[in-house]
Formats: sequence, structure tokens, C-alpha cells
Amino acid sequence: MTAPLAARGITHRYGGFTAVDGVDLSVPAGRVTALVGHNGAGKSTLFDCLCGTVRPTSGRVFLAGRDVTRLPDHARARLGLARTFQQLAVFPGLTVEENVRVGAEQRRGLTAPGLAAGLIGLPQPGRSSARAATRAALRLLDLGASHRLRAADLPTGTLRRVELARVLASSPTVLLLDEPAAGLDQDEAEALGRVLRALAADGMALLLVEHDLDLVQRVADTVHEMAGGRLLGPGGAEEREGGGEVR
Amino acid sequence: MASLTVDLALAGIAVGSAAALTGIGLIVTYRATGVLNLAHGAIAMVTAYLLRQLVVVWHWPTGAAAALCLLVVAPGIGVVLDLLVFRPLAARGAGTAETLVATLGVFVLLVGAAFLAWGGDARADVPSLVSARPVTLPGGLSVRLDTLVQFGAVAVVALAVAAVTRWTRIGDELRAVVDNRRLAVLRGIDADRVAAVGWAFGSFTAGLAGVLLAPYLRLDPYGLSLLVLETMAVAVGAGMRSLPAAVFTALVVGVAQSELTALHPTAAAQPLVQAVGANLFVVALLVSVFVLPRIGGVGAERAAAALTRGRRTTSPVGWAACAVVLLLPLGLRAMDLYAALQVPALAIVLLSIVVVTGYGGQISLGQAGYAGLGALFAAMLSSGTFFGLPPLDEFAALPLAVLLVAPLGLLTGWPAIRRRGLALALTTFALGVAVSRFVFAQPFFTSGLVLNRPRGLSGDRAFYVFELALLTAALLVVRNLHRGRLGRALAAMRDHEQGAAAAGVPVPRLKLFAFAVGAASAALGGALLGMAGRAFDPADFDPVRGLLWFAAVVVMGADSALGAVLAAGLLVGLDTGTHEGVSALVVGVLAVLLGRFPGGLVNTVLTRREERGAPRAGPLVAPDAVLTAEGRRVRDRVRSASGRGP
Repeated sequence: MTAPLAARGITHRYGGFTAVDGVDLSVPAGRVTALVGHNGAGKSTLFDCLCGTVRPTSGRVFLAGRDVTRLPDHARARLGLARTFQQLAVFPGLTVEENVRVGAEQRRGLTAPGLAAGLIGLPQPGRSSARAATRAALRLLDLGASHRLRAADLPTGTLRRVELARVLASSPTVLLLDEPAAGLDQDEAEALGRVLRALAADGMALLLVEHDLDLVQRVADTVHEMAGGRLLGPGGAEEREGGGEVR
Repeated sequence: MASLTVDLALAGIAVGSAAALTGIGLIVTYRATGVLNLAHGAIAMVTAYLLRQLVVVWHWPTGAAAALCLLVVAPGIGVVLDLLVFRPLAARGAGTAETLVATLGVFVLLVGAAFLAWGGDARADVPSLVSARPVTLPGGLSVRLDTLVQFGAVAVVALAVAAVTRWTRIGDELRAVVDNRRLAVLRGIDADRVAAVGWAFGSFTAGLAGVLLAPYLRLDPYGLSLLVLETMAVAVGAGMRSLPAAVFTALVVGVAQSELTALHPTAAAQPLVQAVGANLFVVALLVSVFVLPRIGGVGAERAAAALTRGRRTTSPVGWAACAVVLLLPLGLRAMDLYAALQVPALAIVLLSIVVVTGYGGQISLGQAGYAGLGALFAAMLSSGTFFGLPPLDEFAALPLAVLLVAPLGLLTGWPAIRRRGLALALTTFALGVAVSRFVFAQPFFTSGLVLNRPRGLSGDRAFYVFELALLTAALLVVRNLHRGRLGRALAAMRDHEQGAAAAGVPVPRLKLFAFAVGAASAALGGALLGMAGRAFDPADFDPVRGLLWFAAVVVMGADSALGAVLAAGLLVGLDTGTHEGVSALVVGVLAVLLGRFPGGLVNTVLTRREERGAPRAGPLVAPDAVLTAEGRRVRDRVRSASGRGP
């Protein structure tokens, strides 16, 4: 079976500096894969290559067996590759619900006819399914009570959940998380860990770049360490049993 | 032949040295404060006017007048701007977009003030500081004295800057601030003092450039300001960094510009060569904004979002009041109704800025160009001069002009894919200026044009109703861009471009779309403006006017369609009701004060009312933790450092 997300021989150079050096990586379904390493080890660059904000100097990225190396980030997102940001990426001008809705309604691409139809005010197809996905994501992350509030007015912990809800509303097959515990307190980080385990149990493929080794230890099935742009392999191979239905 | 070349080269040095001074001033201010001062041209213009006032009207001796203008007034303007406008912004940690609007506000304010004080007529009697008598240099070359002084001024200023930065304490501090503002502040350097010196010096060079250039031109509030803004090319071309590169570029372009006038190509190429020769700085500006996409782009993420409040609701009361005001002119006397014809047309133009900047988050300073193209195309189509097409009925020419301009929105939409903030603002401005100089000012396009109102609508009343109908239609379309799936996608792109892309929003396509819709809207409004006045008048679509329009929309709230309609009423009403220039003065003052009501006037008023009605979720983090006096000082320092880093 092909892994939902696979990287083959990814190398990326900035000028003369090789940030990522021939990395092979598979992110299997139903598991949480973690990527750890010191600052400058190349984690973020690899992450960017995977989600499409950076095009690797060489190497290929496969999404469910399909070569997506040349696709930009938004196209990969529509194919089911979702990501979160180390620095919060929410839309402060929108309400919590609208933030999530943006994620829910992009699976159907915004093509030229769609833009024209939107311009003259025709209803867009797929509205009801987007609404349902939005509601489900809000419920999953316990945002039901605050869905009408503007994102600009909310604290970091809530916004982390808003971002995650938006990402989940697009029902991705692969989820890349860039330090999702940054700025969270103990309780929030634990709640996040439970959600991640639940998603993996649901069959999603998760890749976690994280400094918080606590969180990594609790949720990751496989831990890869990166140093000097290379993958050191599943060090310690913390294969865990079952993972657990925690929710 | 050889002597002619040398003469022209020396004439070019006049323009080139003014450009070099502008370049030096802009770069020094930018390095010291992180602000690209778009008001530079207006400071030059005001200084030149003041010199003329002192010498021609009040009969001061030239030397004393020049000393007052250059050594007191011009640097004084800079210090006042720093104290009243830019230091508070920096202390608040305002972003690129807010600072940009503040410089635009200063620009517009000074232009408005000049209109009020001296009128819009061009003056040809600005005194020269030095006579044009020839002097013979050692070596036998005969040079005009004024050329020598201009060249000398550049050399002295450039060497002085080099010496000061190298050998004095303020120079050390400047270099420290330039390297890393935050670090410099923590080391105890007074960044505010460095910024004040930067502003004073920048304004001094602006004044000097204005005073040196003005005798060669006819002085009017728009012309000199715009010319100096065009020479901004040399600073941008030097990457806002290298003074020698700026001076060299300035002199080369200046000399090349005058050499080109000596060229006599074949008849077919003549207009083009002339246009390029007369506007080489515009060409240079275009080249530099396209070659160097990264100017000021750092940290400009969600630049324009700072100008909006992201309100998703509309105010029925506001719209009702707006409708009443728009219907009022139908009961007015014929004279007043004629003036009111501009309001709906201008409102449609301003809606294009709401779409592109307010909804899409892309700063566009070039919308006046699209409005002008709409008017020009409508006129050409109905006059039968549009590349072989037969004359069309106005009812056909109007929509066709709009459809033809819409794809031209890609001219600014395409660069917008990779640019943000300041870089995008400069690119759109450069394109707007280029369209103005290379299309609107060329007889090839504009000769033999007639522009009439559509059949049956030639009366003012009928045409006004027609305009209102189109404005309503435009508002309905614009509303579709503010709600529903499209509205959410645009807002997401405006608020966080990368986040939007990660959510699957096709950001590049959406940017092109926003610019195309904006171009179409501007074109429709521009064509109506032309039809209202029954002519294509390039002055209506001057790039400087475009800056005024942008500032007016932002002042009202960039993402408020209601605000755009009100802004149109304000611009037209103030100028026709009082004196020309009052609207610019008011918009300028409001834009400078924008920091006090972020998000714009309309949004501020609406939010206030809303907050009185129902308490909203308050901030959950205490905005001001309890700090000791020392702690507060450190925090203020850090804040001002983070706001101003170039």
C-alpha cells in the first residue's frame, strides 16, 4: 500500500547551504509520525517542501502515490494535504465559524466559472456539505460556544483550536503540524494530544514537527530525528501499541 | 556635433542632480526610520512655492529667502512630520500599510494646502538661485553656472552624508540603527533622535531638489510633486541602500534623457522615442520595481489588513442616509446637478479600491490609470479611433470599454502575486504613472476624440439617474465579494496569505481576479466621469489624483463600500462647495490621523455604536501588565524598535 504522503530524496539548498540533504520519509495512515531535532536541523525546510511553500532543489513528493512535487501549496491542500503553522495562521477579520468554513469549502476548487458565478451572486455548489463539515469541526474542537466571535478577539489557545478546526474541516488525509503546542498551557497541550490520537485512530496520517518532547512522547507512534539536513532514521523507534482510543 | 552632445549632457545634469538629491534623501530617511517617504515630492513642491512667495511676492532678497526655505522650513517640515505623525506610529508598532498611508496623507495634505494657498494655476516665475551665465572651467570647457552649482550641490551633500556616517557619533548611531534597530535601542542609542535627524535631512534634500528644479518648469501643485516622485526610481533602483548607486543612476538617467531629445529617428518611431525621452525616470521606475521585487517586502505579511476592520455586517441606517443624499441632487438646480454628476461615477471608481485593497488586501495606487483607460477606451470606441473599429454607439462603447480594461487588471495583478506591501504599492504606482505618461499624454491616443453621453441620456437629470442605476448594480456586485464563499476566500487571503493558501484558497488566481474586477469597476467609473463632462480629460486621471482617491477610501475604511460612496461625496462636495484643494486637505489630515481610528472613519463610528449596544468578548489577556517605570521604558523602546526596523 502506498503511504498517504511520501518524500523521496528531498534535497534543498539555499545558496551554498544544504538545508535538507536527500531525505526519504513516509507518513503512514493511522499513525502519528514525529520529526524532532535541533534548530537548524532542517525540519522546517523539509516541512515546507512537503506542503509546497518551498520547491525542493531535487527529489519528489508523493501524495497518495501521485507526484505533487510541482503543485503549489493551495493545490496540494485541495488534494487533502493540510498543514498548521508554527505562528498562528487565522483570519482575524472573520468569525470563528467563518474561519473554519474557509477550510471546509475549498475542496471544490475555485475555478474561473466559480469566480464568475460568485461575482454575480449565484449560490455556490456544495454549500450544505461545507456547512456540515464546519459544524463537525467546531464540535470536535469544542468551539461551538464561540463560533460567532471574531477571531481577532480570542486568546492564543483558542486560536490554535480554530486553526486546527479549519484544517480538519477540509477533511484531509494527511495533516502536517508545525509545533502545534507552541503557546499552549499544560491542559491545552494535553487536550491537543488527545485530538491528535483520535485523528490517527480515525485513519489520518499525521506528521508532527515539535520541540515539546512531552507531547511527542505521548502521541507519536514513530519518531524521526533530523540533524544536519539528514534523517537519522526512526531512532529509538518508539513503536507504540494501538495508540489508544483516548476520547 | 560633439559640443551639442556635451551641452545636452550638462542640461541632463540639472535633472539628474535633482534626482540624485531625491535619491540621497529618500535613502537616508528610509535607512534611519524604515519609512519610504512618498511625500518627498510634495515637500519639494511646497518649498519651491514658498521660495517664490518670498522672492516674487514679498520681494525678499533671494539669498535670505533660500536660506529660510532650505535651512529652516524644509528641515522643519521633516521634524514636525516625525514628531506628529511618524514617531507615534512607530511607537504603536504600525505596519507598512499604515505608514504608507500616513506618507500619502502628508502628500495629499501638502498638495491640498498648496492649492488653497497658491491656486492650481501653473507659475513660470520661480526665481533661480544662481544665474545661468557661462563660466569657463580650467581646461577650456564652458559651463553654465547653474549647472555647476547643481552638480556641486549633489557632490557636497553626498560627501557630507558619507563623512557624517563615517566619522561622527550620529553617524555611528545611524549605522547601528540601520544594522539592527532593536539591538541599537537596547544598547542605549536614542533611535528617536536618529529618526528626527533622518527626517530633517530627507526634507532638506527634498526642498533643495524642488528649489533647483522649479525654475526649469512651470510650477503647479501636481506637476513638480509627481516629477520628484518619479525620480524616486533612483532610490528604488539602488535597493534603498547604496548612495553611490543612486547618484550614479540619477546622473546617467538625467543625461540619457537629454541625449534622447537630440535623437531624430524615423517618423514612425518619433512619438515613442519622444515619450520615452521625456519620461526616462518613469521607465527607470518601472524597470526598478520589476527587477527588485523585494523592497520593503519583509514583514509586510497581511499589510493591508491593518487598514480594515473585517466587518461582515452592513449598517442599514448608513445605507439609507447614503441613498437619501444620493437622491437629493435630483431636486437641485441645474448647475449643482451638473457638479453632482461626478459623485456616482467617482464612487464606482473608489469601489475598485475597496475591492482590491479593502477586500483583497492588495495595495493598489494605480487605480486612476484604469479609470482613465476606461474613459479613453469609451471615447476611442465611440469616436471610431480604436484600432480600426468603426464608431460605436455609446451604449455599446461603455460596456465594451469596461470589458477591454478588465483583463488589463492583470498588469498589476500579475506583479501582485509575488509582491507585498511597499513593493506592490510602488509597482502599482509606477504602472499608473506609466499609463498616464505613455498613453494619456500621447496625441496618438487622445487626438480627435469625442465622448458623448448615451442616446436619450444627454440631459443631466437622465444621466444622473443612469449613473445611480449603474452605481447600484456595482454595489450589488461588490457585495457579492464581501460575503459567501468568495467573500470568505478574499478575506482569508487579505488576513493571512499563507494560511489561505494552506486552506486551499487559490491565492494567485484570486489576486488576478480581484485586480481584474477592480480594473473593470474603475474603468466603468472613469468612463462615466468622462461622459459626465462630455470629454476625455487626462487631468481627471492624474496619478496624483489617484493617490488622493486611495487615501480617501482608506480614511473612510478600506473595506467599507458605504465609505467609498461617502468618500466620493466628500471629495466632490468639498471641492465644488468650497475651494479646490479643501477635499485634499481634509483627506490628508484624516489620513495622517488614521492611527487614531484604525480601520477608518465609517468602521470606527459603526463599531462605537455597536459596542454601546452590546458588550463583546473582551480581550482575555491583560493589555498592560503591571510594570515598573524601568520596565515601561524598556517596553517602549522595544516597541518603537520593532515598529521601525528597515
